[in-house]
Amino acid sequence: MSHTTYYSAYSIVGILFLLGILFVVFALTANRLLSPFRPTREKLLTYESGVDPVGEGWAHTHVRYYVYAYLYVIFAVDSVYLFPWATIFAAPGFRGTTLAEMFVFIGFLAVGILYAYKKGVLTWLEQ
Amino acid sequence: MNHGFGGQSIDYTAIMPVLIVALGALGVLITDLFTREKRKHDLLWLSAAVIVIALIAELGLWIGGASTKPRLTFCLDSGHSTVLGCSYSADSFSLTIQTLLLGGTLLTVLMAPRRFKVPFGEYHFLILCSLTGAMVMAGARDFITMTVGLETLSLPAYALVGFGGRKRRGSDGSAADASTSGAEAALKFFLMSVASTAVMLFGISLVYGVTGSVYFADMQAVLHLSGYHASILTTGMVLTLAGFAFKVSAVPFHFWTPEVYSGAPVPVAAYLSVVSKTAGFAGLILTLEIAFRTEIHNLGTLIAILAAVTMTLGNTVALRQRSAVRLLAWSTIGQAGYVLVPLAVTTWNGADLAKVPVGQAWNLGPAVTASVAYLVFYAAMNLGAFGVVSALGGTLPGGGELADYRSLSSRQPRAAWPLGLFLLCLAGLPPGLMGLFAKVAVFRAVISGGLTWLAVVMAVNVVIALFYYLRWAAALFAPVTTAPAVAGAEAGAAIEQRSALSRSIPLGPRIAVGLALVVTVFFSLYPAPAFK
Repeated sequence: MSHTTYYSAYSIVGILFLLGILFVVFALTANRLLSPFRPTREKLLTYESGVDPVGEGWAHTHVRYYVYAYLYVIFAVDSVYLFPWATIFAAPGFRGTTLAEMFVFIGFLAVGILYAYKKGVLTWLEQ
Repeated sequence: MNHGFGGQSIDYTAIMPVLIVALGALGVLITDLFTREKRKHDLLWLSAAVIVIALIAELGLWIGGASTKPRLTFCLDSGHSTVLGCSYSADSFSLTIQTLLLGGTLLTVLMAPRRFKVPFGEYHFLILCSLTGAMVMAGARDFITMTVGLETLSLPAYALVGFGGRKRRGSDGSAADASTSGAEAALKFFLMSVASTAVMLFGISLVYGVTGSVYFADMQAVLHLSGYHASILTTGMVLTLAGFAFKVSAVPFHFWTPEVYSGAPVPVAAYLSVVSKTAGFAGLILTLEIAFRTEIHNLGTLIAILAAVTMTLGNTVALRQRSAVRLLAWSTIGQAGYVLVPLAVTTWNGADLAKVPVGQAWNLGPAVTASVAYLVFYAAMNLGAFGVVSALGGTLPGGGELADYRSLSSRQPRAAWPLGLFLLCLAGLPPGLMGLFAKVAVFRAVISGGLTWLAVVMAVNVVIALFYYLRWAAALFAPVTTAPAVAGAEAGAAIEQRSALSRSIPLGPRIAVGLALVVTVFFSLYPAPAFK
C-alpha cells in the first residue's frame, strides 16, 4: 500500500464535505430567489404552535433541575455499558458470573444515588 | 463471534492492590455519608488504612515472586501475531512504581490537617480514586488500559485542585504573583489536560492505524517488520509521548504546573508533583521502552532535547520565585528533566538497546533503573519538602513567601531541620546523600549511553539549582533579626504569616514529614534497594 492510496481514501470525505456545503448554499439561494417575500407584523411573530407568544424569550427554570439533569446524564451514560454486556451475556461460558458482574457494576452506580440521597439532593424542598 | 475471548481468566491476585484502593475509595465515600460533621476529619485514618492494606497486598506480591516471574492478566490471543497480548502485568517495574505511588499518596493523605478547609470525605475519596488510576497506569501493558488509567488519574485531580481557596492577596499587597484561586487553577488544569489527552489519543490512533495493535508487546513484533508508514508512525509516537510529557510537566507542556500548584491546596500540589508525575513517568517509560523500543533511536534524541530544555528552564525560572510553592513547582519541572535524562540513552556500554527484545518487559534495562531510582528518591525528598510547607504555610497564599521562612529554626526547629535536609537532598549536597546518589545514578546512565553533552547540561543545571535550594535552606537557619518596620496593613499581614508559621503542627502532617524523613535518612545511608 503506497502513500497515495492511503491518502486518496480520504478524498471521498472531502468530496462529501464539499457536496454538503453546495447543497446548503443551493437550497438557501433557490429559496431566496423563488419564494415571494411580503412580511406583515403577524408573520414576523415567533411561531409557537399557532398560539400567540406571551412575554419574553427569557423564562425561568428552577435551578434545582440541573442536579436532576446531572443525575440523569450519569445514569444514561453508564447504562450504555450495559449494551456490550448484553451482546455476550447469552454466549456459552458467560451466563452466571457475567450476570453477577453486571450487578456489581450496578451496585457501584447505586452508591451514586445513595450519595445524592444522603446529601439531600433528592428532596425537592428543604424543610 | 469467536475472537478468542471466551472464558478470559482474571488473576485477581495480580490486581489485588488496585482493587483494594478502588473499593477503599468507595468505602471512604460511604462512611463519609454516615459520619457526623465533627468527626469527618478522622476519615484521614480510614484512607491511610486503605493505603496501608494495599501496601501489604503489594508486599505479598513481592514475596510471592511476582518480581522475578511476572503475573500477567487480562490476556488476549490477538489473532495475527504469535505474541500473547496482555493488558496488565504485575512485574518488578509495576510493583516498584505502585509501591512508590502508594507510599506517596499515604504521605499526601496524612498531610491534610483539620484546619485544612475541604470536604474531607470527598477529598479522600477523590485521592483514592486518582490513586487507582495511577496504579493501573503502572501495570498497563496496552494503550487502552493506559488511557483509561490516565483519565482515572486526572479526572479526580481536577476536582482536588478546585478545593483550593479563593484568591488571596500576598503580604505585599500584590495579588499577581501570590496566588491563583482554586477554581481558576482547576479550570486551567482541566483545559490543558484535556487538550493533551486529545493529542495523545490522536497519536495512539495513528500508531494503532499503522501497527494494528494496541498491545505494547505486540507492537515490538509488528514494528520489526518492514514496510510500515514511517512518517505516520513517527507522528503518532511523538504525539503519544506528548500526552505523557504533559503529565510529567516537561517543557513545552509545563505552563500549567506553577499556576495549578499555587492554586491547589498544598497537599494536592504535593500529590500532583509526586504521584501524578510518577504515574506519568511510568506511562512514558512503558510506552517508550516497550511499545516503541525498536524506534528508540529517533525518540531518544527527542527525549534528550526535551530533558535538557526542561531542566534548564525549570531551574532558571525557579531562581526568581518568591513563594514557597511556586519555587517547588519550578523545581519539580527541573527535577523532571533529570528523570528524563536516562530515558534518552539508546546504547549501554556500546550495546544497542533497540536490538534488545523486552517482551512484556519485566526487565527494562539499566537506564530505566536509574530513572526509577531517581523517582523513588525524588518522591521522598519532594514530599518531605511539600509536607513541611503544607504544615506551616498551608493556609497562606502560595504556601507562604520565602521570606516568611527566615530563621524558622529558632521558632520551629523540628520543622526547620527536616526541611533543610529535604532541600539539601533536592540540591544533591551532603548530608542529603540520597539526592546525590540519585544524580550520580543518572550521570552514570548518561555517560554509559555516550551522551556527554547531556551530562554537561545536567551538571550546569545542578549548579544552578544549588543556588535557590541553598538560599532557602540558609534562610531557615539565619539568626533572628529584628524585622524592619513595615507600615499599617502590611505589618498586620506579615505578623499573621509569621504566626501561621509558628503554629504547632498536628499529628497527621507530623507523621507524614516523619515518614519522609525516615525514608530520606534510610536511603541516604543505604541506597542499594532503590537500584534493584
